[in-house]
Amino acid sequence: MSILQEIKNAVRSRSIHVAYVDVGSCNGCDIEVLACLAPRYDIEQYGIYVHNNPREADVLLVIGSVTPQWVDKLRDIWEKIPEPKAAVAIGNCPISGCVYARRGTLTTPPVENYIPIAAQVPGCPPRPTEILSAILSVAPLIYKDYEEKHR
Amino acid sequence: MKKTVDVSIPLGPVHPCWKEPVRIKCETAGERVLRTEVELGYMKKGIERIMRGRPWQEVMFLAERVCGICSVIHNMVFIEAMEEISEIAVPPRAAYLRVIVNELDRMASHILANFSYCYTIEHETLAMYLLNTRETVLDNLERLTGSRINTAYMIPGGVRFDLLPEDAAAMLADLSKVEDEMRRYTGMFETGPLIALRSKGIGVMDREEAIRAHTVGPTARASGVVCDLRLRHPTYRELGFTQVTRTEGDNFARIMVRFQEVFQSIDLIRKCIETLPDGPIRGGGLCRAGETSYAGEAPRGELTYSIKTDEYGRVVDIAIRTPSIMNIEACAHSMIRDVTSIADVTSTFISSDPCIACNER
Amino acid sequence: MTGYLYEKDLRQMKYNILTSTKHDEAVRAIARRLGMSNAKLRMVMIRRFDMSLLENLESRWQMGQQHADDDSDPVAKDLGCELFTRFVPLVDPRVMQTICNETRAMTGNESSRDEAIARGKARIREAILS
Repeated sequence: MSILQEIKNAVRSRSIHVAYVDVGSCNGCDIEVLACLAPRYDIEQYGIYVHNNPREADVLLVIGSVTPQWVDKLRDIWEKIPEPKAAVAIGNCPISGCVYARRGTLTTPPVENYIPIAAQVPGCPPRPTEILSAILSVAPLIYKDYEEKHR
Repeated sequence: MKKTVDVSIPLGPVHPCWKEPVRIKCETAGERVLRTEVELGYMKKGIERIMRGRPWQEVMFLAERVCGICSVIHNMVFIEAMEEISEIAVPPRAAYLRVIVNELDRMASHILANFSYCYTIEHETLAMYLLNTRETVLDNLERLTGSRINTAYMIPGGVRFDLLPEDAAAMLADLSKVEDEMRRYTGMFETGPLIALRSKGIGVMDREEAIRAHTVGPTARASGVVCDLRLRHPTYRELGFTQVTRTEGDNFARIMVRFQEVFQSIDLIRKCIETLPDGPIRGGGLCRAGETSYAGEAPRGELTYSIKTDEYGRVVDIAIRTPSIMNIEACAHSMIRDVTSIADVTSTFISSDPCIACNER
Repeated sequence: MTGYLYEKDLRQMKYNILTSTKHDEAVRAIARRLGMSNAKLRMVMIRRFDMSLLENLESRWQMGQQHADDDSDPVAKDLGCELFTRFVPLVDPRVMQTICNETRAMTGNESSRDEAIARGKARIREAILS
């Protein structure tokens, strides 16, 4: 492994930029992602920064089952994120549609049909600590030796 | 909608300040906003359509998932509407416990709304302080109900869990801590000169406009409209509830109303715990056929459930009118109009505490 | 780069909003008041209102009936001057003002009041459909 790759690995492990996109949930997972910002959980000690700007993100948190407006736009947002990137599904909604996947619904879950999902955090809603540990465990899998693997 | 000028600045759907996706197109002349168009549909799940034809046992959980921030009040209004239809009486202890949970939820919601506002005007220190205080409130909610967000605490004829004496003592200790902290933060907000520059006199909505769009909750009370359904709720009347109003109608007033209501909620919870009657927490009853329209005061304002049930307790027809419908509409079409700078559009929008999930259901 | 980003046809979503229980009732009531067909009114609303206003249609209509057009001006009350400009903004305020003034002038003349009101309502319908 080259020295350059080692430096990149070291830097990337302490700098994870997160964007979140709500594609039609009940808001509960949204505010649990927000609660991660609180000094009690202190995500910045792990080097995670929440920007909510897809163009400078590394990890995209996807929340919610997919509503009609998002069917085409979710892919757009995913393509704006620079490589290397990963998407994490937060809550039951992006995995299965949760309570919204019933007769008469307007949503079209799961999110996997639209963008590749690297990790899933089930729960309605999951606790902030679970979201945090999911981000922390998925990031090294994607970013470690990225350039060597994808030459 | 018909275009009046060429320059249209779209904000959203993914925007650093907004927690939920919504798109606002501002038609501007220079920096002044002439008119706005709100584009929704990003959160439309069709929850009323899902609810139709389902038994109340399922609709109860669906009602909670209309909105995650104010899930307790959605649960409470739906259950109280069912109780009104089926004439089920609630034991006094359960009625008081409902008030405690509802007020804890209101505190969490108001603190979150003020956090978002402070975050939007880039006062990150105060925002983080508030978010940390909110965690303490959620701890108490979890202690009583077993869950942080979607609690499903109330059921027809009572509540699920009792408040143990040691939990009540811990809750009172936490509340006094929260009160001290909130007093400090309210002082910081009230006296901060830079906060005043970004908030006072911006996004003004007068009383007439507030009535015309039927705004409710803190947004309306900041414009001097008298509307608080807690004044009519029997348990709140026993507790001696009075409402908070201000007359300025600007961003500052809306945030201050929420700060003051947090203290009011703390007082209500204290009074509830002091005078908590003994007895059972769960009565019996059978959900019957009927039709009603029941309203309750959510953190954002008046929440109405119009329900029609059949004899097995299934929901035949339902219409939910959430407070955010009125507030977002009033905010987009009267507060944001004539705002002098694009930078104030986001903060004005956030100050009305918009909840898109509620708005679209 | 051609084409707008994130722009989409909203008609189906607007129609979904308008056909939920309470909104449908409100649309029917407004159509009855104006003497139009429901489908035409729905079409005009979808074209002219944004989604937030459509969601709020029911409460605005309700508040309009309570507060709009006090009894001081019977002509304006019958035509719904304030109701259809400020509460449910279907008609441009200036157009409404001219219609209202002319109708008032006609009621002053020899022609009967009912006929004048009917003609005013027809002009409002025209203004809405234009």
